Amino acid sequence: MSKTAQQIKNAAKLKKRIRTVIHNGLLAVISFFWLIPIFWLIASAFNTDRGVNIRQFFPTTWTLDNFYQLFFQTDSVANFPRWFLNTLTVAVFACIISSLFVLMVSYTMSRLRFNMRKPLMNVGIILGLFPGVLSMIAIYFILKSLGLTDSLLALIIVYSASSGLGYLVAKGFFDTIPKSLDEAARIDGATQWDVFWRIIIPLSRPIIVYTVLLAFLAPWVDFVFANIIMTSRDTNKFTVAIGLYNMLDRNLVNNYFSLFTAGAVVVSIPISVLFIFMQKFYVEGVTGGSVKG
Amino acid sequence: MHILQHLNRYLVKKLKQLTIQIHSLGSKMKKGFLNLFQDFRFGDIYVKLSLLFMGIGFFRRHQIIKGILFSILQIGFILFLIFTGIPNLSKYNTLGTIQFESVYNPITRRNEVNDYDHSFKILLYGLISIIVIFTYVYIHLKNIQTQRKLQLLEEKGVHINTFKEDLIELKDNRFHVTLLTFPVSGIIFFTIIPLLFMILVAFTNYDQLHMPPTKLFTWVGFRNFEILLTTGSNTVTFGYAFRKVLTWTLTWAFFATFLNYIGGIVLALLINSKYTKVPKLWRTIFVITIAVPQFVSLLLVRHFFADQGIMNTLLSADIPFLNDYSWIDFIRQMGLIKANREFVPFLTDPVWSKVMLILINCWIGFPYVMLITTGVLMNIPKDLYESAEIDGANKFQLFAKITMPYMLFVTAPYLITNFVHNLNNFNVIYLLTSTRVTSNQLLANANASDTDLLVTWLFKLTQDYYNYKMASVIGIMMFLLSAIFTLLAFNYTIKSNKEDRFQ
Repeated sequence: MSKTAQQIKNAAKLKKRIRTVIHNGLLAVISFFWLIPIFWLIASAFNTDRGVNIRQFFPTTWTLDNFYQLFFQTDSVANFPRWFLNTLTVAVFACIISSLFVLMVSYTMSRLRFNMRKPLMNVGIILGLFPGVLSMIAIYFILKSLGLTDSLLALIIVYSASSGLGYLVAKGFFDTIPKSLDEAARIDGATQWDVFWRIIIPLSRPIIVYTVLLAFLAPWVDFVFANIIMTSRDTNKFTVAIGLYNMLDRNLVNNYFSLFTAGAVVVSIPISVLFIFMQKFYVEGVTGGSVKG
Repeated sequence: MHILQHLNRYLVKKLKQLTIQIHSLGSKMKKGFLNLFQDFRFGDIYVKLSLLFMGIGFFRRHQIIKGILFSILQIGFILFLIFTGIPNLSKYNTLGTIQFESVYNPITRRNEVNDYDHSFKILLYGLISIIVIFTYVYIHLKNIQTQRKLQLLEEKGVHINTFKEDLIELKDNRFHVTLLTFPVSGIIFFTIIPLLFMILVAFTNYDQLHMPPTKLFTWVGFRNFEILLTTGSNTVTFGYAFRKVLTWTLTWAFFATFLNYIGGIVLALLINSKYTKVPKLWRTIFVITIAVPQFVSLLLVRHFFADQGIMNTLLSADIPFLNDYSWIDFIRQMGLIKANREFVPFLTDPVWSKVMLILINCWIGFPYVMLITTGVLMNIPKDLYESAEIDGANKFQLFAKITMPYMLFVTAPYLITNFVHNLNNFNVIYLLTSTRVTSNQLLANANASDTDLLVTWLFKLTQDYYNYKMASVIGIMMFLLSAIFTLLAFNYTIKSNKEDRFQ
């Protein structure tokens, strides 16, 4: 009697073990396929050949020269340190302006009540339905008539001017802060200004971090808008994204592919780390809080 | 069918609401004007004079700084009208008539340019002028009401705010003005004006043959819409291309959304299963693939699957245990590529590239959906599964009868938003297939290619072919498309009612 019980227990254990192996094995196979491009990216960055490696997946000889060349041997096509500095400048300024804009708009829409509130929010939704590329073309002309194209200032404007439209996530966060807090402060004689700076902002560190990081990352990953604005093809004015994108131009790819992958590795690592770090907020951002975990 | 009925009923409801809103708006405006008229009639001389001079009432009520500021505003507006508004608006019906001419002047030995009309600037500055005029008129009329209020305050002997007190108000009761001024003006100048401008362009003939400054362009009414929506001739094929591109856009968005949705949920279930060890590690691995910037990962994938790329090299190797029989031979024998092909045209053949685009998109999409749905999956009540298991349901039945319906119910709004996002999924299509050319001459005549979405087509039309008029029309079509599906999404979410819930 006890023997059969033992057997049943063993069978269940075996079944569980098999299931575990199948599950993890399956995941291993899937992740293998998912990581192929990443492996290829890293492998190519250490390749001695400069063009696209089409004969073998892994390079025959490995080298660190690509990284050395990236940072210390710049030429007319590839000026990575310069691009890095450009992007950093744009990112810092765009980040400060757009974070402020986003926080200001989201706080207003969440906390303050005034006549134009609902209409303004509706206008925001309608504006979001137009393809961004469409307005971008007109923005290019407007900047051109102001004599601003081909400058970092234009990029800062492009990345931050309309950032107020992306207020929904932060608003969702502010909505969850109890209103009794600011009411108590108001009774004690605090102005709305005090409530904003002294009560809400200190309580909102997670959403501030998210907003700042998102605004900071945008210039590093955008190649569309930057490409439209930087028409002179002067590589000294490129950001990292368009610089790297440009290296894969049909005439350049055979000499610059390995350099591209090296540069891609250098920018991808910090971006990936930041992204993994803020994935929880990212989920809320994408779903606009409509899908609550 | 169900969705269509739903949409129809919803639209009818919305239209009714809209008509009511317009009616109430109309009566509100009427009331506003009536009030204004009353204020003007019963106001003292300063209120009446403020119809001519904005600042005058402020001076009377000892609000000197405000008076100066409003006077400057008025002078500025008049100057704007003289130097920008009137010159541009007077040419607005034609967008300019004087063609650019450059004549060699033998005396100065230089080419001299005539005083030509710049259609682009006329269109843009005219638009800005219209916006400025409306805003100014609103402020000016509003000012009369303000003056009347000040007069009443003065008559009652109530304290009138000094300029300093007005500023303090901006930090308190009018704090929303302080917070919104800069962000909203940013949006007005860099989103609203550009969008209005592009909408206007859709009604002009602004294209490569009509490029300012050397050429003029002018209004053409709805002709561009006609070109896009009718079949046209063999040379003007925008109608044909539009139908093709729209079909592919919708197909693409459908597969990109639903394949990813199901795949992502399965992946999430797999990772969160009780049999899986170290779920955090697995999740991170998949998140890495979306964390790498798309211009890196997708450009890489494009070279991976190029005609002379590494994937084709790998496929040209012999299948293990078969001599002289490579994977490519196998694919050719299956009839998937042409008999004389030595490679698989992953991203260059119309059919192959479409399938590959959808598959490659899974590479980004699965982890993405996995990330987003994990939280919801964890929230499905466990007793649902337990009772179903007692009834003898197997794993697949659990998935099909419990998991998917539950997920669909909860994430429907997200699904529709994601569909709209995929309609405009620029990155995947552009980065993977921007350089391809089409063998379909009818498509090529309209500067489109087989894998183009509306958004990439629009982009190419402007960047490579300077065809702004058609690009603008396509942009308006895309707006309508997105609007329909977004309305649907909003119908599901009653978010606006929930926003006060936690406060």
